[in-house]
Amino acid sequence: MTGFLASIGYSGWILHGLLALPLLGAIPVLLAPVAAARRIALAVSLAEFLLSVGLWWALDTEPGTLQLTASVPWISAWGISYAVGIDGISLMMVLLTTLLMPLCIVGSWRYITERERGYYALLLVLLTGVIGVFIATDLFLFYVFWEVMLIPMYFIIGMWGGRNRLYAAIKFFLFTMAGSLLMLIAIVGLAWVVAARTGTLSFAYQHLLQHADLAGELAPWFFGAFALAFAIKVPVFPLHTWLPDAHVEAPTAGSVILASVLLKMGAYGFIRFAIPFFPTVAIAPVITNAVLVLAVIGIIYGALVAMVQTDIKKLVAYSSVSHLGFVMLGIWAATMQSIQGAIMIMIAHGFSTGALFFLVGMLYERRHTREISAFGGIARVVPGFSLVFSIVALSSIGLPGLNGFIGEFLVLLGAMRTQPLAAILATSGVVFAAAYLLWALQRIIYNRLEPENASLPDLSRRELVVLVPLLLGIVWLGLYPNPVLRRIEPATTRYLERVRGQFGPLDYSQAASDHRLAAGYRLTTPDPRLPAKP
Amino acid sequence: MNLDVRLPAEAALALLPEILLVAGALAVLLVNGWRHRTPADSRLAGWIALVSLVPSGAALAWLWISGARSVAPFMVGVDGFRFAALALILVATAATIGLSLGYLEREGLIAPEYYSLVLFAASGMMFMAGAEDLIVLFLGLEVMSVSVYVLAGFNRGDRFSGEAALKYFLMGAFASAFLLYGIALLWGATGTTTLTDIGRRFEAGPVPGFGLIGTGLLLIGMGFKIASVPFHMWAPDAYDGAPTPVTALMATGVKVAGVVALARVLVEAFPATAFTWQPIVAALAIGSMVLGNLVALAQRPLKRMLAYSSIAHAGYLLVALWPGSRLGLSAVLVYLAAYVLTSLAAFGILGVLGRGGERDVTLDSIAGLARPRPWLAFALSVCMLSLLGIPGTFGFVGKWAILAAVIQERHYALAIVLVVTTLVSAGYYLPVVMAAYMREPASADSHAGAGLPRPAIVVVAAAVTLVLLFGVLPSGALSTAMASIPW
Repeated sequence: MTGFLASIGYSGWILHGLLALPLLGAIPVLLAPVAAARRIALAVSLAEFLLSVGLWWALDTEPGTLQLTASVPWISAWGISYAVGIDGISLMMVLLTTLLMPLCIVGSWRYITERERGYYALLLVLLTGVIGVFIATDLFLFYVFWEVMLIPMYFIIGMWGGRNRLYAAIKFFLFTMAGSLLMLIAIVGLAWVVAARTGTLSFAYQHLLQHADLAGELAPWFFGAFALAFAIKVPVFPLHTWLPDAHVEAPTAGSVILASVLLKMGAYGFIRFAIPFFPTVAIAPVITNAVLVLAVIGIIYGALVAMVQTDIKKLVAYSSVSHLGFVMLGIWAATMQSIQGAIMIMIAHGFSTGALFFLVGMLYERRHTREISAFGGIARVVPGFSLVFSIVALSSIGLPGLNGFIGEFLVLLGAMRTQPLAAILATSGVVFAAAYLLWALQRIIYNRLEPENASLPDLSRRELVVLVPLLLGIVWLGLYPNPVLRRIEPATTRYLERVRGQFGPLDYSQAASDHRLAAGYRLTTPDPRLPAKP
Repeated sequence: MNLDVRLPAEAALALLPEILLVAGALAVLLVNGWRHRTPADSRLAGWIALVSLVPSGAALAWLWISGARSVAPFMVGVDGFRFAALALILVATAATIGLSLGYLEREGLIAPEYYSLVLFAASGMMFMAGAEDLIVLFLGLEVMSVSVYVLAGFNRGDRFSGEAALKYFLMGAFASAFLLYGIALLWGATGTTTLTDIGRRFEAGPVPGFGLIGTGLLLIGMGFKIASVPFHMWAPDAYDGAPTPVTALMATGVKVAGVVALARVLVEAFPATAFTWQPIVAALAIGSMVLGNLVALAQRPLKRMLAYSSIAHAGYLLVALWPGSRLGLSAVLVYLAAYVLTSLAAFGILGVLGRGGERDVTLDSIAGLARPRPWLAFALSVCMLSLLGIPGTFGFVGKWAILAAVIQERHYALAIVLVVTTLVSAGYYLPVVMAAYMREPASADSHAGAGLPRPAIVVVAAAVTLVLLFGVLPSGALSTAMASIPW
């Protein structure tokens, strides 16, 4: 595989290709006859996925640094370049995005019946924007993608959403923009502060990362601005209020993209930018404690609110608040396992919650209601649907053997060593997750069969095409997560070195024991670069 | 190329764009003397006016490209800053004429002298933008203002147009008085009206206290002209009542002239007393951004909303003026360019949406515009997103330039007010996009006939294309702006 990829010069053009293809693909979608629009969009997104799969082999994740980097001056007067690069963490996010997009397009096949050309073109533009966020290595470029991605999402919610779509769309837009505008000040401020001391005005990620400690007394403010933007996106309690509105009102594909990919941009931002830039601020006790409190509140509050929802889509939306709380806990527990676990949750949540939103959408297409009380006993009528729904729900709960378990287990394991109280409190979130999802499952597919549900059709072939890849992912990540863990580990190690290195040289015995614990779980040989514990 | 402006011929070369423009205005006036009765006459005057911009633009291009410099002090600046401003003014004038061609006919205004007034206003703007001497500044301002007062009241049958003209005239007269009194005090304090000489006097040592009062009065007078809070009271009614192409000229050309003239005055005459005017400029900027944006939120008619938003944009421009640095001044030019292009397109579109009066165009009247008029809705949305400052549009480049300039000086408070009020502005720009794309039209034929006349199509399409082009590839615009700063 690697030989073939090398022969076509894959690593030279792939990142640019991934950015350009959907954007260019949107043009024929807009110009084509309405009936062909979705086919072209599907073809483009499939091509994008197939192209991106090569990254799995082409990327040398071992050094843990950004790979396949390229940089072309863009606005040279301000030291701005078009610069991209990718490491193990962004690789997973990119692959998750490219995998979900064709599924979203197939999932919208019947649901979107008007203004189809615009819809599919916007999905493709969104794809470019999201990939851009994950691979940009120039802060100006990153900011541009971060903001530009808002526009297609805003239109998707506002034009094809549910009854309250206008309110949800503008709320989503304003919340995200509020955070990102302050981040813009921090980006410009950081660049100027660095330029004043080093003499080079540059927005390149590596340059700023190297000199970010020059921010001095401004560091807490800059960190705050970055953190606010990312916390709104994650979302961290109490900044989550845009999420239920946007997720519930968006069309199915919009909800899937929002939950599976867009939320991850927040957590990714913390791991890539906010914390590595200002580690001394980020893991200062007061910040750590504040984040942990909010994360635990998010986990428990999200779960409890999910439990009392009568609308299935709202239930799934609030479950995201809870799951992303685990991600925040994992990041701030700052151990090898907890961070790997956080990234695993980000991936697993993409699969499980994406699948849940698809399933909810399928129910809605059949009955035009999402009220849990409207259903019941449908396992007898639609056994296929019920089986898939059960598996996905169990994976979201975190059943061992399915994908949800790995991440949550690693986060709790890692957090138990540094933040035991938070870990113990967070564990209750797993229990609540079981409660709200199993209860919902019981009320929807078991209980007494209502007569109006007696003639529901089971999963169609098209719906299976959407669900089977997700199911395969759920089982694969649950049973054999090693290939993924192996690819994110070096980047995670570097991240930890950066974060802990602020307090003198890295304590290798600590890292090594971290490593052994993770390795013990992974059943692979430890990293030879780390000295063995005496 | 060096011009020895002490020789009349070379001085005329330095003023060639202005001279050719005034000649064009006189030609239009001359033709009007014979032909002023039919719509065709009116159209003819419009086309002559448009064509007469070409020699002026060519002369400007020649001066700019040849890098004209003056070897001796001159009443009008011979530098890139003036050339860039003149280019923006010419663009705004050409677009205004293009938008007026269809508009006047639709409103039944057969008045070919309209176009000569537009050209005279433009020549006033050009003198104002280049003024190196307070007297030239005042003359340019008066030529511009008097022409625009008349233009604002041009729709004689409409009492709102009359109201606009009267309010604009009365407040403008006040502003002129302030300005003139300020000039007199400065002359008394320094014995000169030349900007650089005033600067030298302030630098050399203490000047009488009334020199500072003169500075303040000058700022007040200019504050009126660019409609910054608290001197903005005339703007909403004047913008609202004036014929829409005139509103476009007021929002773009007048603002360019005012801001550029103010920049020149502050940088050349008062660099030594920056500590006195910087807090005033910051206060005016914060007031304009906060009040302009908040009040715009409450406006239902789009034209009034854009009027208040133009007050807010004056605030952003004052933020760019605050540092007085090269970067800040180049940000002024970039932001002006973005704002001029975007506003011209926005007012141009607004002009065709209002059959039976643009004053009544509200969000409801553009509901569902996207289906019957996809290009119009697209252009309108690009304008709104550019005014809001979304990446990918020229407006974002302008905002970024301003932020970079103030943050370089570590004035974070102004930067934060700027972004927070930008967020507020999303509250009124986005509903326009929302209405056009996400709401259903009030009735099936509610957008019938909302097509642009052909000259206006060219104006709007060109402006929107440039907004997007410079939004993605701003490098050229930025380096041109940077190279245009002579100080």
